[in-house]
Amino acid sequence: MHPLVQNKHDLVSVGDAIGNVVLDGKHPRGWWIGFLAGFAMLQVLAISVAWLFYMGVGIWGINVPTAWGFAIINFVWWIGIGHAGTLISAILLLLHQKWRTSINRFSEAMTIFAVMCAGVFPLIHMGRPWFFYWLYPFPNIAGMYPQFRSPLTWDVFAVTTYFTISLVFWYIGLIPDLAALRDQARNKWQRIGYGLLSLGWRGSAIHWRRYEKVYLLLGGLSTPLVLSVHTVVSFDFAVSIVPLWHATIFPPFFVAGAIYSGFAMVVALAIPIRHWYKLEDLFTDHHMDIMAKVMLATGFLVTYGYFSEIWMAWYGHSLYEWGTTIERVFGPYGWSYWALIFFNCAFPLVALWSRKVRRSEFWLEMVCISVLIGMWFERYVIVITLTRDQVPTEMRELLPKKQGGGGGHSIMENAP
Amino acid sequence: MPPEANDAAAPNPPQLWRGLEEYMDSPAFHEAMANEFPEDAAEWTDPVSRRNFLTVMGAGLALAGAAGCTPRPASMRKIVPYTRQPEQMVPGVPLFFASAAPLAGYATGVLVRSHEGRPVKVEGNPDHPSSLGGTSAIDQASVLDLYDPDRSKTPTRSGTPVSLDEAVHAVRAQLFDATGQPKQAVRLRVLSGAVTSPALADRVAAFLTQFPQAKWTQFEPCGQDNVREGTRRAFGRDAAVNYDFKQADVVLSLDADFLGDGPGHVRYSRDFAARRRVRDSIPAGADGEYVKPENMSRLYVAECMPSQTGSAADHRLPILSGQVEAFARAVAAKLGVAGAPAAGTLPDAAQKWIDPLVKDLQRVRGKSIVVAGDSQPPAVHALAHAINNHLGNLGTTVFVTAPVEARPDGKMLALADLVREMAANAVDVLLVLGGTNPAYTAPVDLDCAGAVKNVPFRFHLGSHQDETAGTCEWHINEAHYLETWGDGRGHDGTVAIQQPLIAPLYNGRSAAEVLAAVTLAGDTDGYDIVRAYWRKRFADEKRAGVFEQFWQETVRLGVVANSAAPRVEKPTLAGGWAEGASPAYPTLGADEYEINFRPDPTLFDGRFANNGWLQEVPKPVTRICWDNAAYVSAATAKKLDLDKDFRWTGGERGRTEVSVVTLTYQGRSIKLPVWLLPGHPDGAITVHLGHGRERAGAHVGNNPGQGPNAEGKQVRGSNAFALRTAATPAFGTGAKLAKTTDHYLLACVQANWVMTQVDPLNGTVIDRAPVRRGTNEQYKTNPWFAKITPTAAGETALISQNIPGQAGARNPESGTVRQRGTQYGPDHDHSNGNGNGHEGHGHHDDRLVPLTMYNPNDRLYPDGSRGPGRRWAMAIDLSACTGCSSCMVACQSENNSPVVGKHEVTRGRDMYWIRIDRYYEGTPNEPDATRTYFQPVPCQQCEKAPCEIVCPVAATAHSADGLNDMVYNRCVGTRYCSNNCPYKVRRFNFLSFQDWSTESLKLGRNPDVSVRSRGVMEKCTYCVQRIRYGEIVAEREHRPIRDGEVRTACQTACPSGAIVFGDLGDPASLVGKWKAEPSNYGLLAELNTMPRTTYLASLRNPNQELVDALKR
Repeated sequence: MHPLVQNKHDLVSVGDAIGNVVLDGKHPRGWWIGFLAGFAMLQVLAISVAWLFYMGVGIWGINVPTAWGFAIINFVWWIGIGHAGTLISAILLLLHQKWRTSINRFSEAMTIFAVMCAGVFPLIHMGRPWFFYWLYPFPNIAGMYPQFRSPLTWDVFAVTTYFTISLVFWYIGLIPDLAALRDQARNKWQRIGYGLLSLGWRGSAIHWRRYEKVYLLLGGLSTPLVLSVHTVVSFDFAVSIVPLWHATIFPPFFVAGAIYSGFAMVVALAIPIRHWYKLEDLFTDHHMDIMAKVMLATGFLVTYGYFSEIWMAWYGHSLYEWGTTIERVFGPYGWSYWALIFFNCAFPLVALWSRKVRRSEFWLEMVCISVLIGMWFERYVIVITLTRDQVPTEMRELLPKKQGGGGGHSIMENAP
Repeated sequence: MPPEANDAAAPNPPQLWRGLEEYMDSPAFHEAMANEFPEDAAEWTDPVSRRNFLTVMGAGLALAGAAGCTPRPASMRKIVPYTRQPEQMVPGVPLFFASAAPLAGYATGVLVRSHEGRPVKVEGNPDHPSSLGGTSAIDQASVLDLYDPDRSKTPTRSGTPVSLDEAVHAVRAQLFDATGQPKQAVRLRVLSGAVTSPALADRVAAFLTQFPQAKWTQFEPCGQDNVREGTRRAFGRDAAVNYDFKQADVVLSLDADFLGDGPGHVRYSRDFAARRRVRDSIPAGADGEYVKPENMSRLYVAECMPSQTGSAADHRLPILSGQVEAFARAVAAKLGVAGAPAAGTLPDAAQKWIDPLVKDLQRVRGKSIVVAGDSQPPAVHALAHAINNHLGNLGTTVFVTAPVEARPDGKMLALADLVREMAANAVDVLLVLGGTNPAYTAPVDLDCAGAVKNVPFRFHLGSHQDETAGTCEWHINEAHYLETWGDGRGHDGTVAIQQPLIAPLYNGRSAAEVLAAVTLAGDTDGYDIVRAYWRKRFADEKRAGVFEQFWQETVRLGVVANSAAPRVEKPTLAGGWAEGASPAYPTLGADEYEINFRPDPTLFDGRFANNGWLQEVPKPVTRICWDNAAYVSAATAKKLDLDKDFRWTGGERGRTEVSVVTLTYQGRSIKLPVWLLPGHPDGAITVHLGHGRERAGAHVGNNPGQGPNAEGKQVRGSNAFALRTAATPAFGTGAKLAKTTDHYLLACVQANWVMTQVDPLNGTVIDRAPVRRGTNEQYKTNPWFAKITPTAAGETALISQNIPGQAGARNPESGTVRQRGTQYGPDHDHSNGNGNGHEGHGHHDDRLVPLTMYNPNDRLYPDGSRGPGRRWAMAIDLSACTGCSSCMVACQSENNSPVVGKHEVTRGRDMYWIRIDRYYEGTPNEPDATRTYFQPVPCQQCEKAPCEIVCPVAATAHSADGLNDMVYNRCVGTRYCSNNCPYKVRRFNFLSFQDWSTESLKLGRNPDVSVRSRGVMEKCTYCVQRIRYGEIVAEREHRPIRDGEVRTACQTACPSGAIVFGDLGDPASLVGKWKAEPSNYGLLAELNTMPRTTYLASLRNPNQELVDALKR
């Protein structure tokens, strides 16, 4: 059994190490670089969205037949990433994986921001975003409810539920930590602020008992969400009759991909934090190793999915499936398929077998970034399938246009 | 500031004043007082005429409409009812008026729909022989010209607005001396487009009588010069020729695009299609609309530029235009036509054609047609007539008539004479009377624009301030044909009365009115002129009855009865018909090409360059819009090492970057993009005229937002007139093509994507067979062949049973042809719906809408009795479709679809609710073997619509009668429906594509159809507004809707009658009969979408002997 914390930390020193980061307000140079870059990109997002709402989604390169573009790609990507938080918090909690404690907090935070990022995209991709609330059931004089057969309606519920549960889960888990910050507060305002947020936590046994119960309950509640949310998101594609979207493998395939990219994002964020804030003792090499192994496993699941897609297209003897597969792999967008294979399979799944890579900050960071790129390309390849479907004449290319696409990342930059 | 008694500026204030100007005693007021008729006020000479009614009604409504376009909310607008309701006018109920759409002088009878005094939609006039109800895309788009914001709105002098009186007086001063006597010394020339209009011709004749020294020149850059001259040579007299393709078993086209171009092509499409619509169980009918497979006609086409006719051909020979004559001679020689000149050398493939072709022609003596193209020299026309004569076709399928044009003469030569005179300072007064734009269209070697400047007095009547207007000092804005009275003759001479539907929006005048005004002769109002002419002619022809009755009836029908050009009984060939044959065709040098000039399929000679509908509609065969290109064959493209670049994206649709070439001909050159066109012969280049106009109009033709052309100018496409000379207006040799390093972005909605895809693993061909095609021989052995789905052949029976309208048909797998007659026909005995007469073919398909949320019994009759379960459906016959794009423009006109511009088309965002897919069969490297297929694709109105289940807000849902409705107000724009539509017929308003600001365009919109704003999805509705209108009318009259009563815009427009629409619930409906045909299939029906729109397979009738000969 590996120690979860290195260098003989006790409760006080762990509390100090973490509390100092928050309360001191002294940030290393890397934080400032990241923050300012993220903040600048947030402004780009704001301007882009303003222009988008003024002009319409035509400022992007989408067209008929490729009516979805980067917005949906980014949405699925972010939602997938968000899964790591829930997985780490809920499933690993239920499985009594103690090592999760050093990463669960910021992976949960990452989840919340990721879901927020994800939520932006379906909203802004709508033709008439000011009517977004029509997707919710609410009493109205038109007597119209959402159309419940549509996966997009399911999506709205899935993502909304997911965000709510994640937020509650994150906040409940945060209460003892907020109390610790209150106790260490350097001034009055911190004391009042953290005091309010900690809901009168005193750390008594009965508090802990109730806390553990609620946490376990919430863990049980959110465990199905890990599987259901991305399953529902995959239905956005699988329920349609677009060749290569219309596949039963999509739900498990998407969940595996979500965990894959989610873990990659957690590690990709954890490594700089541990490096700059000197938290190697808490987020240890062993943690990196375990996370990398999970990625290795899910990476193979995802790769199996890619294989299965091609196999089924060939084995199913559908002209449309097979014709579209040919176009996907060898057609004008074939480069993106091979980028996906390289970033998602070839590089990470070879590198991660090496213990050295799994425990090297630099190499693991590289692998994680590769997976993040690869998983983005996976969604790109899926959405771009629209360029080739059943009717040969209606095949035309998507013109990616940069506007409004980069914005999502900036929110993420502010997350840690 | 209110005027006061001691106002210093008013020295002598009268006691009562009528206005501030009078009070102020200004000179302008005095002048205005002296002028009884203020400037620009029209003088009405006939206070009770129909025209006057239309004037008041139209202008008032136009103003009311314009006033209604304020941003004020509807609740604050004042809606003023009629104080006196005009007769027949019920707000919301459209009226139809017969009129005549002119093009290059020839008129097509049309019915124009008017909403509250605004003409909004053009339909064909079924009573007019040039239309028979169909229209061309140009006719359809003509209504947009009326509302063109760039129309000339006022008379001008050197570009400065003047009053109409001033302009008219200026001309009068040139024509008459001070005493009002005609000046006999002034050298007077009148220039106009071709004229068939009897009333206008009469007016011109009167003018020429008044001024005997005057000369009248007609000029059409893309006219009938060759046809006329060839006919004259053949028969030794001025004559016109028309054809009856219904009677023709074999047709040989010598570079003639009789289905796509020229007067009568709309009619010919209908006639030709009648012999191509193969039906198993529908009898031919009284008007011969259908044939049995063995009676299908056969079409041979020898042509250069792939045309609509070539695309419809059973055999197409790609051949240089200059070799067509040799080919024709070879055919004539083989047939043994007496006096035919000796045939020259022919290309190998053409040589193989001769024997089987001649044999086939001889087989059907008297029932064949040989037709020569407008661009072929007169000798070819004479040859064609001689062959027709030899085969005994004259009088059975080919009819020689008296000339249709008012004065048939050589238009190109006449212009050359005029230009020569002008250049020699031998013209004092030039009156250009509309319909022609010689400053742009004249042969470049004539330098017409330069010569015009020598004329001291230049006057122009035209609809736009075009290139010719720019060279003339005086200009009067011409009235649109929907604004003024007139008449015109169709291809066979039948006169159609051109009835206006609206008072001139900008107080324009017609040519006849201007002629009358400047000569002070008789009536000056168009109505009076036309009516007076016909009154006279009525008397001259000694027609029976009362004139007034004749006139009312004629105007109502739009067609003058018995006015077709009289046929020449027993026409005989003139002695010297074979004289004047072209010299032997020169062999092309290694880097020399034959250049071909053709009128643009949609812009014609450029007169429609500012018509957004015609610019944006993809050209019938090339599918390019907004531009022209140099069309070359694959071998030529390879030789020149031309680029075609889709970047990294593939770009099969919408966006293609191609090389720019310099095209040099006789020392002049232009730069234009080059396009590889399958089926184009090697060694030739084709360019379309009509592009590159510099004074087309600010909104479309010269809109800077669309980007510059290949030469860097703000025009659409490159001007091929800059190469065209008077000697070789159609084609010539010695053109050179040089590749430049430039590239140009073309908007081609469909690149060279063939129906098939090659599997890289094993090299087999993946054929998705969107167009099921076969030969009539195939049809005879297995009429069900089209039902076999390529992707699930084993489930063919199941799939076809799920296609609406199919369940009554017998299992196609049984292999036996279904018995004809009453037993299994759609009208056989049903005693209880499921019993009698159904043995052996199962139940009828009486599902209404499988997945509707509405009560299927919620039908027409409020008393609860079961009304007809309407199931609207459409069938499209691919054998009849010629890809003419008329349906696309008709749909755009009917449904207020926006013009998105080239930039948006290159981004894949055209907004056509119906598109025409074009597929090639064969490889581009073999022009001889390339076959072309067209497939119009509107919304398939699936019964199990994939779009419906994915919409999160139920913005697209099924109606009780099975329509897949789109609710714009509910749409939030997730676009999932489009993704899930396997046909990709949904169109999204990615941006605000509609023009919300141009006032004149608002008048032209169909008030029955919502104008969509950005962010919502739209698509074909089966013209639901027409369905509902038909339902309301039928309900009011307590009767079921008659079959054929509701017609969609595309169906009505289709010249070849390829589209049929109706109610599948009606057992006798035509659409039901079409769908019961064995060749009926559903596009992508294997996806179980149950499409209500289905297709009838494309059938060809190849000559097996020729097929074998070509293989050798």
